[in-house]
Order: sequence, then structure tokens, then C-alpha cells
Amino acid sequence: MTCDSVSKLIPLYFYAELPPDEEDRVEQHLHECQACAREMERQRSLAAALDIRHTEIPPRLLGDCRADLMAAIQGGAPRREPAKGPWTLFLEALGGTFAGMVRVRQPVGAMALIALGFVAARFTGVTPGHSGLTTAGLGPSDEVFSTVRSVQPDNGGRVQIAFDETHRKVVSGNMDDENIRRLLLAAAHEQNAAVRVESVDLLKGQAAEAEVRDALLNAVAHDSNDGVRLKALEGLKPFAADPAVSKTLAQVLLTDHNDAVRMQVVDLLVARRDDSTVGVLQNVVQREENNYVRLKCEKALKDMNASIGTF
Amino acid sequence: MAHDAAGAVGARLSPQVDSLIRAAQRGDQEAFEQLVRAYDQSVLRLAMNLLRSPEDARDVYQEAFLRVYRNLQSFRFDCSFHTWLYRIVTNICLDQLRKRKVRKEEPAVVETSEGPIDRMEAFEEDAAEADPERSMWNLQLKQKIEGALQDLTPRERMVFELRHYQGLRLRNIGEMLGTTEEAAKNCLFRATQKMRSVLGDFV
Repeated sequence: MTCDSVSKLIPLYFYAELPPDEEDRVEQHLHECQACAREMERQRSLAAALDIRHTEIPPRLLGDCRADLMAAIQGGAPRREPAKGPWTLFLEALGGTFAGMVRVRQPVGAMALIALGFVAARFTGVTPGHSGLTTAGLGPSDEVFSTVRSVQPDNGGRVQIAFDETHRKVVSGNMDDENIRRLLLAAAHEQNAAVRVESVDLLKGQAAEAEVRDALLNAVAHDSNDGVRLKALEGLKPFAADPAVSKTLAQVLLTDHNDAVRMQVVDLLVARRDDSTVGVLQNVVQREENNYVRLKCEKALKDMNASIGTF
Repeated sequence: MAHDAAGAVGARLSPQVDSLIRAAQRGDQEAFEQLVRAYDQSVLRLAMNLLRSPEDARDVYQEAFLRVYRNLQSFRFDCSFHTWLYRIVTNICLDQLRKRKVRKEEPAVVETSEGPIDRMEAFEEDAAEADPERSMWNLQLKQKIEGALQDLTPRERMVFELRHYQGLRLRNIGEMLGTTEEAAKNCLFRATQKMRSVLGDFV
């Protein structure tokens, strides 16, 4: 074996990735050749040096990831759904209102597809044509979910049943369509976390609109899902100088339990070096457990010539 | 050399893993949760090591396991679950690395008015060492290593990560990345050469 061919095999020899016969030949050569033995030594020190780099997983990250995942799954992330365009949403309790929209707008460019559904306590399974049922418009192809509100028998042997019904509608339109935006704003309050994540993700590009910004602020301050809050934060980034936004962010920095959220917020707040945040930053320095967040606050306070404590 | 943690877990637990998969395929949520917990630490470690950003690692975790959840029905036991899972995870991570290459971004390092700070350093609580000279040398070495790793192509970076840090075999790595063992060998060789040329003064 020549030195040239051995030097090409040294990394693979080190990682024990050579076939046995080739490994034997390299080993034999290394015994006989000092130059190649030194090469092998360099390979070993390289590997040892690389081991100095170890990445700590921030405490709570694993727990947060698990919680996010379970929320997304239990919130009804679609299982084995065929691809449905950029996104698909299921909204509760929004029947009829936007019935005409399907034909009003043709999807162009960034298209939004919304599936409206009503998930109710019970599916009645009423079929039309049963004797004396006077409700019109129930066709077998309609998806009707309903909740029975009252049942009243009369003396003639008939019964009057009141139930709510909602039909599933699909509307599609451009992201800048006002009706689509209204639906997204409603979807940002859905019980289903996966729907909220998708909606806020779409809304975050439109934070220049006051009502969208309010929805994002509401999400970042109150949403129970970490993913939703992180998405909302992304949308608020360009508006960190807005007083209402920075006030909410300061609150979030003090109260949010999620490290990733607080890390994002602290970046937004300290970037501005705004004197009005001094009190909040001092407060954070006193109680924050996360090193990154605390260090950033200390640094910002130093830059602003403010004391670190509130003494 | 890194210990083959994930692979060992997968192999040791194989019969249990198989029954968890079958139960999860039948819709047993608890079985799915247990399946996730058997593998998610190594997935998160891989994502953190590659991307050095808790936010990005979290995205990878979420996307990977949601894909697993949605596609578990199509898992036919023709490869190990570990390989199947890592195919998904490495694909998502490679996408992220490629995007970063295009954007030329390194989210682990934040520019501040006092120069760049490494966001990951903030997590390393044992950063302060008794010997300041050694500590400085270590810091420089770490920065050099980061630089060298960033110079690798996403694929070289991935093969190197899986072999050196995660301790997987090249045959297995090839299978995960949809390529041959030979191609994975070439990738590892190129990656090692590049690392040696950058870190030459330090090792």
C-alpha cells in the first residue's frame, strides 16, 4: 500500500468503516510508516478536539416540544390527510355567513382555502322523507351536525324538536380579502390549537392592519399554545416600537413560562434600548431563570447606564 | 467517538417498539406518545447540534413527529423505525441547512452593539474555567470548529454529524439519506479533509 492511498483511508480507518481486509492492510502500513502514523495521530487529535463542542439542550425545551406536539395532535392535526393546498382549516360554528363567497372570488396567487365545519355534540342522522318531518333542505349529501335544544311532544302524538344545524362550507380567496381576514381573525380564537397556529401564521404578515395587530397581541399575551405565541411574536417584530406592542411584550417577558418565547421577546425589547423598559428589565434580572434572557437584560441595562438591581 | 445512543435504543427495544408502532397505527394515542418518548431526545439533540438554535430545533421536532403521526400508517416494517424516523428528521434538517446557506445566516450568533455573541454560550453554564488561558484557547477552538462546520455543504455536514457526533454507521447513514454507503464514505472523507484544513493549527 502506498502512503498516498493510505492517507485517503485514514478517516475511514479511524471511524472503523473499512472492510476487514483493507483495515488490516492499513494497520500494517501504519506500523511500518512513521509519516502515516503521524497522520493517523493528527486524525485522532482532530476528533478529540471536535468533541469539545457539545450542545446543551436548554432545560424545558424537551418538555415544551412534547407539549406542543401533543397539543397539535390532540387539537386535531389531520391524520393522513391528502395534500390540500397551502392550508386547510376547520372552523367551528361559522355557518352560512359566507355562503356566497365561493363563487365571488377566484383563487389567485396566495390562495386561502378554508373549510368551515361545525363539530357538535351529536350528529342527528336525520334523513329526509320520514313521515311528517317538515324541515326542508335536509339532503343526504349535506353534512349536517346538530345539537338538539328541546323536545316537546303535543297531544296529537307528534313531537316538536328544536335543533341547531350548521352546514360545512368551503370558501377560498386571497389573503388580502377582507372576508378571508375576518375568518382568519375568528380562527385565531378557535379551540383547536392547530387551527390557531395556522391562522396566526397567515395573519402575521398583515400586522400593519390595526385589527390584525390587536389579534396578534391578544394571542401573544393569552394563547395557551407556545407555537401560537411564537408565531404571533414573529408578526409583531416590526412593530416593537409601538407603545401598545412594547407594553404587552414587557408583560409577556415577565409572565410567559416558555423559554423560547421569552428569548424572542427579550431580543425585541432590548434591541430598542428604550428607557421605558428599564423597570421591566431590572425585574427580569431579579427573577429570570434562563441565562440567555437574564444576560441580555443585564447587557441592555449596562448599555443604558442603568443599575442592574432595583435596590 | 460518540456512542450510538439512538441506534442502540432502537435495537434493544425492537420488539417493544414494534408493538408500540402497531398499537399507534391502530390509533392508540398513548402508544404513540411512548414511541415519541423513546426517540425524541436523540432527535432533539441532533437538531440542536446541527442548527444550534432552540427555536429551529423545536420546529424540526414538531414537524418531524407530526409527519410521523400522519404517515405512521404507511410504515411497513421494511426498515427499522429508527431509520424511517431519521429519514424524516434528516430531510427536514437538510432543508433548514440549505435555507441557511442561501440566506448566509448563522442564527446561533447574534450581532449586538458589542460585537457578536453566541446564543448557545449562554446555555453553557460551565463556561468559566479555572485557567483563563485555557478557557480562551477553548473558546477560540469552539469558534474555529463552528466556522469549519459551516463551511461544509449541508450533506457533508449531515454525514459528519451522524457519524462523528451521533455515532451511526455509514451504511445506515446512506440508507437514511437515500444514497449509497460509498457516497456517504466520500462525503465523510471530504468533510474530514475540510475540517483538517481549517483546524490545522489547533490540532
